[in-house]
Amino acid sequence: MIDGLGTASYDAQSLPADDNVNPYAFSIALAGEWFVSKGAMIAYYGNVDFAGVSQYASRASWVAARFSSPMYADEWVVASGQGKVVVADRGHDVNSYDLEDGNLTIKQANLLGFAPTLELKQSIVPGFVTLIGTGKFLASSNGPVIFVEPPFRADPEALLGWSDCPSPSQHYDHHWMAQSFMAGVQGMLGRESGEERQYDFTGAGTILLQSSEKLVVDAALLRTVESHTNLLDAQSAGALGQRLIARSQQGGR
Amino acid sequence: MAQLVAQKRVLLADLTGDSIRAMSGSMVAYQGQVEFKSAGMGGGGGFRAAIRQRVAGESISLMECTGHGRVHLAYQAQDVTVIGVQNDTVTVESEHVLAVTRDLQLDVQFAGLRGMTTGQGLATTKVSGSGQLAIVSDGPLIGLDVAPGQPVVVDPDAYVAGLGQLQMSLVSGVTWRSLVGEGGGEPFSLRFEGHGRVYIQPAER
Repeated sequence: MIDGLGTASYDAQSLPADDNVNPYAFSIALAGEWFVSKGAMIAYYGNVDFAGVSQYASRASWVAARFSSPMYADEWVVASGQGKVVVADRGHDVNSYDLEDGNLTIKQANLLGFAPTLELKQSIVPGFVTLIGTGKFLASSNGPVIFVEPPFRADPEALLGWSDCPSPSQHYDHHWMAQSFMAGVQGMLGRESGEERQYDFTGAGTILLQSSEKLVVDAALLRTVESHTNLLDAQSAGALGQRLIARSQQGGR
Repeated sequence: MAQLVAQKRVLLADLTGDSIRAMSGSMVAYQGQVEFKSAGMGGGGGFRAAIRQRVAGESISLMECTGHGRVHLAYQAQDVTVIGVQNDTVTVESEHVLAVTRDLQLDVQFAGLRGMTTGQGLATTKVSGSGQLAIVSDGPLIGLDVAPGQPVVVDPDAYVAGLGQLQMSLVSGVTWRSLVGEGGGEPFSLRFEGHGRVYIQPAER
């Protein structure tokens, strides 16, 4: 006999349908397909198949239209079938959001899943993706999500996403120019305090923040930034490479 | 008789002249007269168990707490759950065992391939007998019932414990396609069939 496990327990029927199991886990009632971030699934009941996005797209052509981001294709899987799928992200808070004929841009590493009625596109801001349409999506946050309205300046690391407002511009504290010449040189070498760069939001909309600045490793971010370097000519690309080498030799920040 | 009480992320162990075994280094505070000594790598399972644990690569290391008083135990601010066991068996991932009362036996079970895929050794701990067992989890535990015809599949990295008559098998999501590029992201999963309950944590180790 075993007792004392007062902790919540579920079976395939009693697991919540499209709702949180607890603040750190969410149960998707799957009937058809969902896009799920790789590794987010922690358990499932029923007949569920997980296939890579492009692998699934070869069977169902609509997938490519919904997931127009080859950059992230190998970070995502399509869960298909019937059942309940429980997703979580390293014990972080998991929240579901309903988007109604709208658009929302979110940090890719925090997006755990979205219904196939939504369309995913890569944002111009590196590391972020935009969801367009109507449907449900799941995102994790390090601590509860804070909603704020523009005008607002956010720390890039704490920024989770934004909706309905124009993409942010980068803001630098105005005294950067007043700083000494040496500080300017250090800035060119990639040495920054880390807080003088912020994202500046204007217009109408909502900005989502998480209450911690803990960085999540996003493998695709490197590829995104790398693809942006295509804007550079060969000589500037070489100069950038030298600066990056100098930064890594300084121990990196 | 020692009493274990979970207080969110801290385990309170009240000792009345007897002893409990707890994860080495998990004591954060104590009141009264309590002695701590290493229970050795065997975890009290005897020399044979010690040998098997060595072979299995188990990292479980326990200390014995003896005396009168209250010991506060915690591990990395993880949630604590206390389970009462009466002539039964619970299977727990070894690194989740925070403390056991004296009359529970710990034994190591080989898990074969499953251990290999999760990289945490080749074994889990089987806790049997009568007494109390405290386990830690990264976030609150979620219990998932398993009944005939209703198997559950869980991520090996989220699996914490199992009770009842469960058969575990390894499900491979790997197709030939994933060998050349992208996979399903869940290359190995654990399928539980039979009758019982599986506990998972909302985090992956």
